[in-house]
Amino acid sequence: MISSKTSTISKNKPTDNRVAILNNSEKRSDQWSQLLISVGETRDRKAFAQLFEHFGPLLKGFAHASRNEGWFPGLGDDLVQEVMIKVWNKAAGYNAEKASATTWIYTVARNCRIDMLRRKSNTQHLPLENEDFWHEPDEETPITLLQQKRSEDKVQSSLSQLPKEQDEILRKVYLEGKSHAEASAELGLPLGTVKSRVRLALQKMQIIVSKEAQE
Amino acid sequence: MINNTHHHPDENMLIEFSAGTLETAASICVSAHLHFCSRCREKLLRLDQVGSQIMSQANPIEVADNAFDQVMEKIDSTDLSSTVEKSTAAATTAKNTIDEGFPFSVNKLINTSLISKNWKRLSSSVDVARFKTGQDNYEVALHKICAGGKTPKHDHRGTEYTVVLKGSFSDENAVYREGDFLIREPGDVHQPMGSQNGECICLSALSAPIVPTSPLGFLMKPWLRINPM
Repeated sequence: MISSKTSTISKNKPTDNRVAILNNSEKRSDQWSQLLISVGETRDRKAFAQLFEHFGPLLKGFAHASRNEGWFPGLGDDLVQEVMIKVWNKAAGYNAEKASATTWIYTVARNCRIDMLRRKSNTQHLPLENEDFWHEPDEETPITLLQQKRSEDKVQSSLSQLPKEQDEILRKVYLEGKSHAEASAELGLPLGTVKSRVRLALQKMQIIVSKEAQE
Repeated sequence: MINNTHHHPDENMLIEFSAGTLETAASICVSAHLHFCSRCREKLLRLDQVGSQIMSQANPIEVADNAFDQVMEKIDSTDLSSTVEKSTAAATTAKNTIDEGFPFSVNKLINTSLISKNWKRLSSSVDVARFKTGQDNYEVALHKICAGGKTPKHDHRGTEYTVVLKGSFSDENAVYREGDFLIREPGDVHQPMGSQNGECICLSALSAPIVPTSPLGFLMKPWLRINPM
């Protein structure tokens, strides 16, 4: 199934391997949202197993992409376990109109990764977990699933078109979990350059609006 | 919720917040602002979409064959009914101290991490309640300015984040209302004043003591030290 999808995509346009895989997973992203809804509504174990099979290895890869303070070799397996248990427990609260399963699961994963690293590197009692910062009211005008899907498709394709240095900085920030200051030290760039490069990348993707365009 | 906020965190702060790399004290303030500001919530959702797409580009790494079974075992061994009971019990006991209008993270801090249960007087018009937040760089606290209360004119030695949680205050530059997010850097001199129509409560994170610039500065002794915890 994977190979047939990949080949359909490569027929449309020549793409590198990574983009082909991305498009492939994006094509099926509605499927993941449907599975997540089933887990939430009917505690569907088969659906959960499918989610696990798809997201487990990705989450483990995500855990290993960040070598920040507090990293330990077992982080990957621990993260997969903790995130997937949270997915099971929180699935009933999943709102498909607000975010796709991929966005939703990565929000959980991001919070888990931060909290696990923090717990390892910090001996003080931390009263707030990272997910406590994401308890915000539901919007009155939710984005419909279709709009949301369309905008995620757009995110996909615009990401693949970024110049190398902008792609690199976004990966540092989101995948490796580096702060702007850490990225600036690692890349040997002034902090201001890092800040503006991140903004430029997101402007190019039309995620944020440039100051001139706002006026 | 109607969006009345006019002062927002800048885009790089939202980006770092979305990536989870913003330091704790600043994250507390950004999350408090998000509670009030639908514009920034929408921006954050878009940033989260980007983040999730990038995060899903991590090279997959095979998980152990029994990983799924282990997860199911853990799920099955958790007695669901007991967790439900526990959370209802927690919700009832916490009810008294929860302010509906406050952000979740602030209510949680109020319930778990106040250093003293009572407001502490800083000056005739300002009270403070400090939090223990498990980090060493910022003092995180609530400040209450009484209606019409004047605070001494002061400069800042470090960064100060402020979010208005209730009421409003003003300084030489503007009026700040519920949800407004402010950053003050060294060199920013201001003299906040509480609005006449009621007390104002602000959340703040302060990385260094403020510096009085007015002749009455000696009245500010309690302001002159911070206690990050």
